[in-house]
Amino acid sequence: MKIPKLWAALGLLGLLPAVAAAKPIAFAKGTTVMTEYGAGTMEEFQVFYAPRYWYSLGGGLLTLESDDGNKQRHISYLRANLLAKRWNMPGAQANVFVWGGLGNATGNDFGGSVLDHNVGLQGDIETRRLYASFQSDLHESNSYSHRVDTVQLGWAPYAHDYDTLATWFVVQGRSYSGDLFKGTETALLVRFFKGGTWVEFGATTGGKLQAMAMFNF
Amino acid sequence: MKIFKATVFALLVGFASMASAKTIEMDVNGLVCAFCAQGIEKTLKSFPATEGVFVSLEHRIVAVQLMDGQDITDTALTKAITDAGYKLVAIRRTDEPLSAVRARVKQQKALPAVDPAKHSHEGAKMEGMDDHH
Repeated sequence: MKIPKLWAALGLLGLLPAVAAAKPIAFAKGTTVMTEYGAGTMEEFQVFYAPRYWYSLGGGLLTLESDDGNKQRHISYLRANLLAKRWNMPGAQANVFVWGGLGNATGNDFGGSVLDHNVGLQGDIETRRLYASFQSDLHESNSYSHRVDTVQLGWAPYAHDYDTLATWFVVQGRSYSGDLFKGTETALLVRFFKGGTWVEFGATTGGKLQAMAMFNF
Repeated sequence: MKIFKATVFALLVGFASMASAKTIEMDVNGLVCAFCAQGIEKTLKSFPATEGVFVSLEHRIVAVQLMDGQDITDTALTKAITDAGYKLVAIRRTDEPLSAVRARVKQQKALPAVDPAKHSHEGAKMEGMDDHH
């Protein structure tokens, strides 16, 4: 368990569905701190540092709870994010991110702690008025395997600038595979950001709260 | 000798013109969110010659006000924008202070989603500006 602890602490990073909406790399020499509360089934905290604009390194803590409340998983992880491709267009940008890492997981449906492997990818395209993203995030260990797929579509009622508040309305669809969650979850979110601060909150169609905050500096 | 003198004079005039530039304006592709602007602003502020930075997402412009008598080469600017993850389309130098550039840009109408002028790199020059590609 000693080796896995470190590696394990490494691995965990991919999980974040809500984080998925945000980019895992903000800007070169920038630090990103994110925290999320996901409809009572997920809580997560992450910190990344990007030495260059095309990769970042960091880690996080993740708690997952099954929809029936019977299963819990706690994962601490380290992860590396890579910007595989970026398209800079006049008035638009598109990105493909991939990531991988290792973590240490404990849970009430398996004994002890296990090594968690994580891989994922994200594709997104945005203008100042429209946003679309897809993220797929896979976590595996000897005791479980689950994948979270998230699609987000966003619309801004006005085009923001650097010195004004950005407001977005986002529709999110998320599906879970594996033995922790089942089904698809839809949420409506409102997102605000200005400067390096991002706040997002809303509710699922089941009436559960979802919220996220992110800070870049 | 006359040719030599004329050449030296031309060089001096050119150098003086460059040295007198107060602000550098850059057209940048990919500027769509505050985080984009934040990263570019942070990068450009790290130059010793930088007095201030202004970013307009609406007009896809990044402007750098220079310290008195100082300059940043086009090569360094291109590298800075590229290393920040964005595409530099054009560089212009002006005698306007940053506050005037900010005021002028704020008064201009927003650019369309796709700006052919920036695609072709043949956008109309603004008064008092020179292109440096």
